[in-house]
Amino acid sequence: MRRSAGRRAIVYAGAILLAVFWFSPFALVAVGSVIPEVNLLSFPPDWFRDPPTLATYRYIFTGEVPASYEQRGALRSMVSNEVRDVPRAIANSFIVAAAVMLLNLVLGSLAAYAYARIRFPGRAATFNFILMSRLIPSVALAVPYYVIIQQLGWLNTYRALIAIYAVLTLPFTVLVLTLAFRGLPPEIDEAAQVEGASPWRVLRDITLPLALPNLVGAGLFAFMLAYSEFLFGLFITTTRERRTLPVILGALSANTDVSWGMLMASITIGAIPTLLLAFPVWRFMVRGLTTGAVRG
Amino acid sequence: MAGPGAIGQRISAETRAGQRRAFSGFAWTGALMIAPVFLLIALFTLYPFGRAIYESTRIESPIFPPQYVGLQNYRDIIGSSYFMDAAKTTALFAAVTVPLLLVLGVLVALLLNEPFLGNTALRIGMLLPWAIPATVAGLIWKWIFLDSWGALNALLYSVGIIDSYVQWLTTPNLARMAVVVVFVWSQLPLASIFLLAALQGIPQELYDAASVDGAGAFGRFRAVTLPGIRPMLVIVALFELLMAITNFDITYSLTQGGPGTATTMVTYFTWVESFKKLDFGRGSALAIMIALASLVAILVLIRAMPKGALVEERR
Repeated sequence: MRRSAGRRAIVYAGAILLAVFWFSPFALVAVGSVIPEVNLLSFPPDWFRDPPTLATYRYIFTGEVPASYEQRGALRSMVSNEVRDVPRAIANSFIVAAAVMLLNLVLGSLAAYAYARIRFPGRAATFNFILMSRLIPSVALAVPYYVIIQQLGWLNTYRALIAIYAVLTLPFTVLVLTLAFRGLPPEIDEAAQVEGASPWRVLRDITLPLALPNLVGAGLFAFMLAYSEFLFGLFITTTRERRTLPVILGALSANTDVSWGMLMASITIGAIPTLLLAFPVWRFMVRGLTTGAVRG
Repeated sequence: MAGPGAIGQRISAETRAGQRRAFSGFAWTGALMIAPVFLLIALFTLYPFGRAIYESTRIESPIFPPQYVGLQNYRDIIGSSYFMDAAKTTALFAAVTVPLLLVLGVLVALLLNEPFLGNTALRIGMLLPWAIPATVAGLIWKWIFLDSWGALNALLYSVGIIDSYVQWLTTPNLARMAVVVVFVWSQLPLASIFLLAALQGIPQELYDAASVDGAGAFGRFRAVTLPGIRPMLVIVALFELLMAITNFDITYSLTQGGPGTATTMVTYFTWVESFKKLDFGRGSALAIMIALASLVAILVLIRAMPKGALVEERR
């Protein structure tokens, strides 16, 4: 189809507008994280008066206070102390998210296989129940979860976060894996069954290897949701040893006297792991949820 | 937090359940296989929800002795002007963001469906706003909108568009607008990519036929594109409605519900009641009300959509 020059101009203008809208905030944060704080706060704004510096990053990882902060006295560096929890918080988020991913893969594929291939009483009812459970908004579960976790003595533990995030992510994993397993040719299962293989054996030796791409996608998706979750993390974790990344960043945002240079360095560091995972997850989402309608 | 496509797929998955040949004579094995997931979810759904209903009928706070009060919590909430403000803000927020996301989503999908240099880069890059935690999205934009040394003010001032800094986050309506912008920024990628997928599922022949019938660009859009993506539009609308009603992270990190209570929505209100004021009874009552409201919103939308819209979605 021939495209007119006017149409092309509109398309490019739209594309540029979108790119600016979506990407400039990231660029601003990355730039802001290497500009000395004094310049950021200057009025009239003069961000580039002094050369860029990696001092904020150095502080987060080593605790070495940037030169420009010491001139301003002890208070500001004390307040910014919180950003030093960021590496620890990333580690916490990783531990929790990895455990959630593992739970999703093991429990999720078991359930998905049963739903895809085995006839048993209550199959449709339990399947619907599992999926419908996600229609309850998280905030409606916050208070009762808190009470339960408190009674279990699980406040401020990884296992509380892992259990809750598993409950939040499993319905989606079960759905996606059920569809994936059902899409595999049933003849293989039947042949294996005739040979006397149990469903466990078929799942382990045939279905799982065949559905590997879906497993990777579903697992990473669960990982990302667990890594990003904020509301439950906020009230389950009470000390800096257990706080996850979104919680630490949320706390920093509530701090009105926070050092923005530090904050932006924290955001940059914290965003990197998600961005690395994002691409495979995105491809999986697009392929898995839109039933292959997307080409190229 | 499943994607919008999930709803449609679930329904079609259900209609197909049991059609394929399954293992027979392994009923116990099947039940055993689903047991961990089912029990975990049942334990963390039925019990907490029952518990919330129970607590919502009681005074449960650090100040007063626990006591059964019937529907008093609900009456107090509905009678409270703070709650009514939060409810109105939430309704307004949803009424602005959902249509905005649908319109922009269609426009972006149409754009991405055109060939242009950098198309793939844009498609991959647009996952960034979606992929980062919502708290981080709020924080990034807070630095942009910040009143005293935010990037937007610095930029506008440097170019000479404004001669004094705009109080973006401390002026009620501007702060509301800021929350809308951040929400759209982070939700638009998913909405567009799903609409794009629906768009690409429309057979080219339909467009050709419409052209033969003499339809112009707008006519083709109305006769072919819109009906073709309608099921997906409904799903995206449902999903975004839920996201808008339950939005918490962005408000928390961007405005903390302020200035005053200008951007306090029901979820943030619930958070304050439950975890700042530690009034669990009232917090639970609020939670039940939010759950019911979302349920009603979903049912109304499902009612409003054309028959068969969800099932057709799987082509």
